[in-house]
Amino acid sequence: MRVRRLNKILLYDEGMAQALNIEGIAEYLRKKLGKVEVEVRGNPFALYPLQDKISDYARRIASIKIQDATRRMSLGPEPLYGEIEYEKRRILGKTRAFGVLYDGLELQRLFFELIPEEERSLEFVHIFFTNRLFATWEESDKRYHARTSVYGIPSVISTTGLVEAPARPREYYLLKQQYEMLGKDLLELKDRFKGIFIDYEDERLTEVVNGYAMQAVFYSLVGDPFCQDKGCRLYNAHWQEELVLAQLGSEYEFCPRHAKLLEDGEWALRR
Amino acid sequence: MGIEKIEIKEDKTIKELIDELNLSSVPILLELDGEIFYPDENYGKILKAGDIVVVIRIVAGG
Repeated sequence: MRVRRLNKILLYDEGMAQALNIEGIAEYLRKKLGKVEVEVRGNPFALYPLQDKISDYARRIASIKIQDATRRMSLGPEPLYGEIEYEKRRILGKTRAFGVLYDGLELQRLFFELIPEEERSLEFVHIFFTNRLFATWEESDKRYHARTSVYGIPSVISTTGLVEAPARPREYYLLKQQYEMLGKDLLELKDRFKGIFIDYEDERLTEVVNGYAMQAVFYSLVGDPFCQDKGCRLYNAHWQEELVLAQLGSEYEFCPRHAKLLEDGEWALRR
Repeated sequence: MGIEKIEIKEDKTIKELIDELNLSSVPILLELDGEIFYPDENYGKILKAGDIVVVIRIVAGG
């Protein structure tokens, strides 16, 4: 396995969940990757405080909203004034994103532009945390699929995606239908499944995101963020139960192969 | 899976390279001489024989 060298890890928070402790994630990464510097950058849009630039980003974000999950988005008509204003408030942290789905690859592309040119390198691991929900198009079934993360430059991890993208137990959906038919309180249903899946403002969120941040690190290190081992934090969970097992319930953090890579530390540029 | 280094054998454009590798519908970035960019913004750029291009595939999770 070819291992690339790492110089620095940079964490950005583009509207994160309140339960997410970004300094805690930085500390975790420092503990795991002691030889690599970890920097918390905060809001990436703060690097561009000029009003016209913010308006431009707001317009572009408004134009990458997915209106219909069964139709591939094309950058078409200019977004409405209200949509742009909403995104401007969102960028400035004056409102929170709910119920909006974005194209994950286009969002990543926009975030790419926020990275200083001299740091656009595989030696830098840029990780953007966002509470925007995003999806990517799957050609195989011709529809968008909600995602927890996209890995590249930068890697983007969605706290809303961690709640919404991996499926909940089948039994939950069956009962949810029944609850809705009977007009019963869905909070009661959530209580029945408490702990089984990650929920909004879940106190376990930071611990879960630690594992996803490590997926971003391994993407830069070896080109593959994932592991086949269901007990390894690099496991690409598609079900909430898998996510909870890999990130919180496993007897080990990393499988022997990935644990050894971390221990060797040969990849660190700064010593 | 995600990051692959390719040596260019003969002069060609970025577009020709992408077509040759069947990557036109795959989300990727390219690295050339330390610069990282989206290929569709640089389709006409000429790659010279001997150039080393890194293909960075974007991977989605969950």
